[in-house]
Amino acid sequence: MEQIRPIVEMRGISKTFGSTRALRDVDFTLEEGEIHALLGRNGAGKSTLVSAMSGYTPADTGTIRIASTEFNVDGSSYAARIRGDIAHVQQTPQMFDLLSVAENLFLENDLVRNRWGMVSYTRMIEKTEKLMRDWNMDIAPSDLAGELGAGQRQLLEIMKALSRGVPVIILDEPTAALSNAEKRVLFDQVKLLKTAGVSFVYISHHLDEIFEIADTVTILRDGQVVKSRASVEGLDTETLANLMMGEKTTRSAREDHTFGDAAPLLSARQVQLKPDRPKIDIDVRPGEIIALAGPVGSGKEDLAMVLAGQQAPASGQVSGPNGALPTIGLVPTDRHASGYVGILGVRENVALGGLEVLSGNFGFISKAKEDSLVNRLTRQTDVIASSLDQAVSQLSGGNQQKVVFARALCRDPQIIVALSPTRGVDVGAKEQLYALLRDLASKGLGVIVVSDEEDEISQLANRVVIVFEDRIVDEMVGDYRMEDLILHMEGAT
Amino acid sequence: MTMEIGVPEGHGGKKMAADGQSALARFGHGFVAGGWTMYPVLLLLIIVGAFIAPRFLSFINIINILEQVSVLGLTTIGLTFVLLIGRLDLSLEGVVGFAPMLAAVMLVPAAAGGFGVELPQWMGLIVALGCAGLIGLFNGFLVVKVGLNPFISTLGLLVLLRGGILIISNGRSIYSPGESLTWLGSAQIAGIPMAVFVFLIVATVVGLVLKYHRYGRALYAIGGNEDAARAAGINVDRMIWSAFFFAGLLAGLAGILLTGRLDSAVTTQGQGIIFSAFAAAVIGGVSLGGGRGTIVGVVSGVLLIGVINNLLTLAQVPSFYVQASTGAVIIIAAILTTVASRRSGGVKTRT
Ligand SMILES: Nc1ncnc2c1ncn2[C@@H]1O[C@H](COP(=O)(O)OP(=O)(O)OP(=O)(O)O)[C@@H](O)[C@H]1O
Ligand SMILES: [Mg+2]
Repeated sequence: MEQIRPIVEMRGISKTFGSTRALRDVDFTLEEGEIHALLGRNGAGKSTLVSAMSGYTPADTGTIRIASTEFNVDGSSYAARIRGDIAHVQQTPQMFDLLSVAENLFLENDLVRNRWGMVSYTRMIEKTEKLMRDWNMDIAPSDLAGELGAGQRQLLEIMKALSRGVPVIILDEPTAALSNAEKRVLFDQVKLLKTAGVSFVYISHHLDEIFEIADTVTILRDGQVVKSRASVEGLDTETLANLMMGEKTTRSAREDHTFGDAAPLLSARQVQLKPDRPKIDIDVRPGEIIALAGPVGSGKEDLAMVLAGQQAPASGQVSGPNGALPTIGLVPTDRHASGYVGILGVRENVALGGLEVLSGNFGFISKAKEDSLVNRLTRQTDVIASSLDQAVSQLSGGNQQKVVFARALCRDPQIIVALSPTRGVDVGAKEQLYALLRDLASKGLGVIVVSDEEDEISQLANRVVIVFEDRIVDEMVGDYRMEDLILHMEGAT
Repeated sequence: MTMEIGVPEGHGGKKMAADGQSALARFGHGFVAGGWTMYPVLLLLIIVGAFIAPRFLSFINIINILEQVSVLGLTTIGLTFVLLIGRLDLSLEGVVGFAPMLAAVMLVPAAAGGFGVELPQWMGLIVALGCAGLIGLFNGFLVVKVGLNPFISTLGLLVLLRGGILIISNGRSIYSPGESLTWLGSAQIAGIPMAVFVFLIVATVVGLVLKYHRYGRALYAIGGNEDAARAAGINVDRMIWSAFFFAGLLAGLAGILLTGRLDSAVTTQGQGIIFSAFAAAVIGGVSLGGGRGTIVGVVSGVLLIGVINNLLTLAQVPSFYVQASTGAVIIIAAILTTVASRRSGGVKTRT
């Protein structure tokens, strides 16, 4: 009689990138039908470990068994040998922008081949339509993937992995780009597959999700396991956070630095986000932290981009006190698409935001100024990299996000517009970024945050502006309560 | 383990970027990233050349090579501007021929093949450079405002300019188009042609700008990720216009040097130069995808092509072999550059 054994067993896995030892002798097991959360601070080695599991980036040493395939790892590629058993949704999007949704979903998938091995388009469209119905999504199979929003793209990648019919699925921060509604759909599908015996490795920095969906937790720190296969029962978010960070992390509360009767830094007048939508008026005052909230497609991101001067409104105007726009630092929503320049180093990326500030005579960059400013900003935003010259594409996801944040601060802005500013950032660094934003507000900066997270909003915002169908439907100022916030945010839908 | 460059106050001790990388690896990386990859090859070639042809290392010949490459050099530096932002400009070849030709026909009397406008002598240089710059701006317009793919728009313009040369010159070359147009390409200082100085000065200035000026930083950023550059507050459209403008301007300058050297605006002037310019850029490590490349590298690519052509001529290789061997060398050099950059950077798996 065969004994039930884990579906994945990894022993003594190590991986080195140049001088960085990303994984040191790590053991990891995944039981059948289990949802196993993999946690750790930014740069701990989570993505590296799951990439070693799927073979996307082969490890240097160790042994791996997945289902019935067992092998020793020596740095050479093994992804093809386990392709039938494992699917990996990566932290960085891997969509083909110029292919349709249907083509992206069923690329290299035998289910849509006819008996001569040719791709059957009708079958592909049918299957895509069925998937969209199951996932409650409103996307046409022929839409180009490149035209979808970040959340929809993320869901597509997950759908692609989940529909491959493999026993092991890796989800690396699947909810980072998802709204609450999209998250619900994802969790339903994951639970459905779990009952069918599929096993998941689940990476996330939203610790509350862990208790909702995971059975087991493993925590990495500096490339080593610090907690192996702990059951989620008997754990709480605080304990998890402390284990991840290796020190006590406390949740901070919002502060109000609004300069009562100061003139606004930025005013939007009669702004229409789209033609024939209601007109919007909004002021940003010094010291104020404003949160724009609302469901997907509500127009909150558009409003933020209009305020940031990055997008032209359909009508109306945005201006500073003396007509001209103030200096605005922007953290865009999708860091991969418009956040960082992957082939350039940390230094160049951060400095990019403040070329005017850093350049002196005739526009030449002052090396000394650049060094000191970039050093200070990367420290303030907790960027972890092997050196300031490391290419940002080689950083861990959360650290890429921090680089984008540092870049927005580099121009010495009067206003910061940050869309999902802490996406992919660990709990400790998140608190640090919040503290930084509060500190800037106390110095008289105006801050606009777009967020889907109630916690983030309530920890930061002195004013919550609810956007729905391209207009402002609701507003809460000052000392609002968490329950009210949730009610107002849900009320919009 | 990972070093932290930015360590938050609360995270315990401060560790600065004490890079554990070996000094050799760092040197190798800087060597390739700085664009020095091809210089050892160049040196080797020069040593070999000295053995094959004793005349190779003579002062006259070295000056000769430098003068020969100055035209290609300026064109390639111009091309580099647009390559860095992930675009390309095929029309530069047309500019090399058209800009000086236009100036020439505006200067010389109708009897010598001119339009009969007979502009004053000193206008020659201004007309040629102005025309080159305008063509560059027009390219920028087509790409930024009309939204054309630069391959198509500049290819069209290349063919148009080639035809335009024949139209404005009536298919005849124009001799002695005047001092102001020919001086840069023919004058000498202490036995060294002015053209060499022009090339070296432009290379130095552009090299410094790309490396240390905010304009250069913005170019690299746009080539690496245009949307990110935009979000960082860079006026991307204006940068694209300007890159095409500088490319055109430098191609025009290259054309002026060529006209000066020949003391005439020839109808076939510059033909085929765009291929060599692309080759020189790629050999020099400029990425056709944008965001990577240095002037140090571009100069090495240009010199390599110049030295090879010179050696083949000195070694009395029949001229039709010269072209084929240049092609072969381009491929070999490109392989070397690629291998070197893959070795030095990117993901490395240690054994
Ligand atoms: N291609 C690469 N080249 C060099 N270093 C790398 C590369 N990929 C990852 N690293 C380094 O390995 C370490 C672990 O990175 P990894 O992406 O696994 O972190 P992570 O735990 O997933 O973090 P995050 O929560 O930010 O996603 C980091 O220090 C990172 O800089
Ligand atoms: Mg990761």
